[in-house]
Amino acid sequence: MSDPALRVDGLVVEVTRDHERFRAVDGVSLAVERGRSIGLVGESGCGKSLTLRAIMGLLPDRAAAVEGRVTAVGAELPLAGKGVAAARRGRLGMIFQDPGTGLDPVMTCGYQIAEAPRRVLGMSRAQADERALELLRLVGIPDVERRMRSYPYELSGGTRQRVMIAIALSSEPKVLLCDEPTTALDVTIQAQILRLLVDLQEEMGLSIVFVTHELALVGELCEDVCVMYAGRLVETGRTADLLARPLHPYTIGLLRSAVDLDAEVTAPVPIPGSLPDPLNRPSGCAFHPRCFLARPACETADVALAPAGPGRASACLYVEELMTRGLGAGVP
Amino acid sequence: MSPESLMEVRDLHVHFPLKGYGVVRAVDGVSLRLAPGEIVGLVGESGCGKTTIGRCITGELAATQGEVLIDGERVARRRHSAVRRSIQMVYQDPATSLNPRLSVRQVLAELLRVHHLVPRAQVEGRSRELLEYVGLPPRALDGYPHQFSGGQRQRIAIARALAVEPRMLVADEPVSALDVSVQATILALFAELRERLGLAILLISHNLAVVRHLSDRVAVMYLGRIAEAAPRDDLFDDPRAPYTQVLLKSAPRLSQVGRTPEAALKGDPPSVIAVPSGCRFHTRCPRAEAVCAADEPRLLPVDGSGPEGSPAEGVRAHLAACHFRAERPGARVGVV
Repeated sequence: MSDPALRVDGLVVEVTRDHERFRAVDGVSLAVERGRSIGLVGESGCGKSLTLRAIMGLLPDRAAAVEGRVTAVGAELPLAGKGVAAARRGRLGMIFQDPGTGLDPVMTCGYQIAEAPRRVLGMSRAQADERALELLRLVGIPDVERRMRSYPYELSGGTRQRVMIAIALSSEPKVLLCDEPTTALDVTIQAQILRLLVDLQEEMGLSIVFVTHELALVGELCEDVCVMYAGRLVETGRTADLLARPLHPYTIGLLRSAVDLDAEVTAPVPIPGSLPDPLNRPSGCAFHPRCFLARPACETADVALAPAGPGRASACLYVEELMTRGLGAGVP
Repeated sequence: MSPESLMEVRDLHVHFPLKGYGVVRAVDGVSLRLAPGEIVGLVGESGCGKTTIGRCITGELAATQGEVLIDGERVARRRHSAVRRSIQMVYQDPATSLNPRLSVRQVLAELLRVHHLVPRAQVEGRSRELLEYVGLPPRALDGYPHQFSGGQRQRIAIARALAVEPRMLVADEPVSALDVSVQATILALFAELRERLGLAILLISHNLAVVRHLSDRVAVMYLGRIAEAAPRDDLFDDPRAPYTQVLLKSAPRLSQVGRTPEAALKGDPPSVIAVPSGCRFHTRCPRAEAVCAADEPRLLPVDGSGPEGSPAEGVRAHLAACHFRAERPGARVGVV
């Protein structure tokens, strides 16, 4: 197999809150091949955004990546320190949830897109502007000449997100990190942005890491998916296979609790309890207090992601039982 | 004319003047009716006017034109307290709609005392009962908002709305700020409250799945007007307004894993200051013909029979504001 475009090994992110430190991301490993996309799914606070920010070297002050290796396009990237941005340039690009706050309100779109080509790729102003026009066309914005001179407030949410994507692509990355890029958008615009990401992936061989809380979105966009709970990956696999045959009780819970457009026949079944307090993480498997399958062993055993059939891995002690019984067996 | 309607909105217009730019017609002629115990979903994309309608109904905003009726009586924005109490609002984000410095007990007790709803000695008991309605234990009374999870906070916000004994709730995106695993529990709570208390609910949401899950009837809005209104299953199984069809096509579904995302609509919604002529959707509509740019279609029954009307008439009717409302989408794309 060729070298993956992005590889993360044993990433640990520690966060300080109320003078206490805890592991918000605890040993996450993942790999994305060239031209493929992977989804990272979980509820708020599970560490999915921190994982993405640690990969990009953009952790907030209260957080630090203390362990792990990130390799992209053949080079190991420093997790912190001086060379963080330089090492990622030309390898990784990132887009964020709210395109309104990600853009500089007092600079034109053209200036913001041309900045990286000018400063980083060493292009002249004219060359960089030409490149910015190309990028605006690439992300499907009509009337590009006018949009070059537009300020962010003049644009709709969907167009702003397209500009964000153009900026992320301006330093010619091989991997695009997406942190809930459609959550702030309307469904018809969300469909447009998803379509654009798929096209970019196919045309440019771009690899994509897509963080979201919505399983249905991953199903449309990503070949592979990782499900995250309380800072750890609890299940990974091919998306279609994983959604059809989930092998971790948390994934089963997420699927059964989803208020889906087609699910009105079977009423959603909520997951009992609530997300654990990161300062007070349950012993053993962190999901055991909410799990329908939990047994005494779950409270003490050290669970880790283990292979569960071709292309699959699950961090459930009783994964074999789930494999033989199928979806939802034993759910009250 | 309509004795069984609890709340009715007739030809509501809400316009916001923008200095130097013109007028935003946030709501531009909407009629809507809720019977006691009925749940009506109001869906549409951001900026379509759905929240503005909710705020007119509760009296937070004044209508530019048109009227709001409660029990058949026309009410103004300023209302007698008994009328005001009858319709309460539940907001999107319980983290910001609850006062962080008041305990749950203080929040509920204040309402009960100010409105003289129960004798002083019974305030505590009634507070516990309200928490029981929303599925929280009595010990939650001593908690402050930050000590609760998002789902629990939304339950507290609902208990607060219930304290003044309303007959109708306006729930504005009540689960959008919540985690997916708890959204279903809050929706189930609304359904239970309707059963137990006979509450009517106007459910405002951009999320089609949420609306489908809970509503008896659904109205779809586009740029300040209702594009389609129908009993839930009619709307989701046989949508007639092209805008509704596009919305349904754009929504992600778990059952469609592996499908390539399809951008069913090109372009952005038009500016609310310069609403297109004719049918407001014609600039983006896949079905548009010349007539659509010229004539604005009225909201009429899709089968062509029956009286002309608005959702205020004929509650069970399937209405759409489209010149081609009689066509079924299957026939339109030539499915054999």
